[in-house]
Amino acid sequence: MLASEKLAIAAHLHVLLRRKTGRVTDTQWMADNAEYATEIVRFARQSAAEDGHVELVPWADKLEQAVLPAAAPRIQDAKPLTPSIMPTVRSLLASPAAQAEAGDSAFDSARYVRGLR
Amino acid sequence: MSRKNKMHRIGLKGLLAYTLCLSTSAWSQVPAALTRPGLVAQDSINGADTAWMMTSTALVLLMTLPGIALFYAGMVRKKNVLNTMASVVAAAALVSLLWFAVGYSIAFTPGNGLIGGDTRLWFSGLDYIKEAGKVAVSHVAPNVPESVYAMFQLTFAIITAALIVGAVVERLRFSALLWFVGLWSVLVYAPIAHWVWEPGGWLAQRGVLDFAGGAVVHINAGVSGLVCAYMLGARKGYGRESFEPVNLGLTMAGAGLLWVGWFGFNAGSAVAADGRAGLAMAVTHIAASAGAMTWMLGEWIVRGRPSLLGLCSGLVAGLVAITPAAGFVTPLSALLIGAVAGVACYWGATGLKRLLNADDSLDVFGVHGIGGIVGALMTGLLASKTVSGVQGDVVVQLMGVGAVVAYSGVMSAVVLWFTNLMVGLRVDDGAEVTGLDITQHREHMGT
Repeated sequence: MLASEKLAIAAHLHVLLRRKTGRVTDTQWMADNAEYATEIVRFARQSAAEDGHVELVPWADKLEQAVLPAAAPRIQDAKPLTPSIMPTVRSLLASPAAQAEAGDSAFDSARYVRGLR
Repeated sequence: MSRKNKMHRIGLKGLLAYTLCLSTSAWSQVPAALTRPGLVAQDSINGADTAWMMTSTALVLLMTLPGIALFYAGMVRKKNVLNTMASVVAAAALVSLLWFAVGYSIAFTPGNGLIGGDTRLWFSGLDYIKEAGKVAVSHVAPNVPESVYAMFQLTFAIITAALIVGAVVERLRFSALLWFVGLWSVLVYAPIAHWVWEPGGWLAQRGVLDFAGGAVVHINAGVSGLVCAYMLGARKGYGRESFEPVNLGLTMAGAGLLWVGWFGFNAGSAVAADGRAGLAMAVTHIAASAGAMTWMLGEWIVRGRPSLLGLCSGLVAGLVAITPAAGFVTPLSALLIGAVAGVACYWGATGLKRLLNADDSLDVFGVHGIGGIVGALMTGLLASKTVSGVQGDVVVQLMGVGAVVAYSGVMSAVVLWFTNLMVGLRVDDGAEVTGLDITQHREHMGT
């Protein structure tokens, strides 16, 4: 996967986490550092399970696949907070408008990482 | 043909060429040209020119206050908006006092090729003697009172220093900014203004063309901004965190003020309310429009969407590039200059920025440095003898660009080094995270 694609996924998750949980994350580091990404994936799933922010789960899954392909089963086994299929289904039921809005914001967020223009 | 058209900003080579164009009979009716500031009869002052120059002075000041302040403040994070605005206001006030005390004299009085004299320190000699019917004029602008010309030039000194603020926002100590701007204004800006705009300046004598400040203002500020960005280091989190601009609406308001004010900047640099000023105004507008469109198109093609910030940046790029050329080129040339500048500056603020790997926060070098260089070189290529009586020369222009880049770069580094010795450059990490509004000013924006 291209670095820019990883960064885009990280940016999506960055915006969703900030909006849903108030947690501010480091987008570039999330895309680059496996340990940090592991913690963010864990946190996103925990928030989905405990606070009902199900929109986080598909993006946590994507980040896991993008940055931690080998570690994916371990994280899910270690923190079985939510069955991976269920959040994905539930996320499909989330408002398309909300998802689009989050996507646009994520694009902007990634765009301002290394410059304004 | 009046004397007012002879002198301003065309360099000695241009002056000689222009003078040769004057008929012998016309020349014989005009008093001998001034070679230094002096007193002339009050009735030799041109009222229309004076009124236009006073208007232009106000327009150029408007570009900084609030133009640059809004333009920059909209692009920083919310926690640094007031510091950005305060930096611009403080720079304007400090540079004004230094221009009055020292800057004007060493920039615009005869001395040697490198530096002017001391005859106008503290604005001494800028007299208006009602009973004798005399008023002081500059040899560079003999048709308006010297007080007006000195004020007009002051607004250029102000905006040049204010432009650098964009490269250092969000991490430079406020006290360091004051030290740097004060020293830079006297040691860097004033000498370069003398080189290019005072007829005895060494670049003016070699025929370098800079109608309204492509090199003196924009290349100078751009290079200095880049040096500042390197020496200060990147902001905490640069390249890893998203630095979202607080309100690009403010930036658009600032860009609008810049566009309008630039009519004073360029058309005012004709130092007359005449045909050349009118043409300068027209080419200014055309280049701004072309710059906005080509930046927008470039962004649309590369990124898929045109942005408001891209439009605002593109119009500024066009304005910057037409600045050295405004009194020398035709409208069609202005279209080309603006169009090239829009694309070049888009690259300067994106691709080149990545190559340079400096956190030039608001792209001062990418827009003003690159735009100024494009404008200076294209002036050499496109200057029309029909418009100004002078022919451009790309090699001479390149020499001018090189000289300004070298001097501005080296001296900015020296001034920054000294500033660091005096007060330190950066705020500490905690202050940077908290934001400079609170830590430097004990103020914060409302919600």
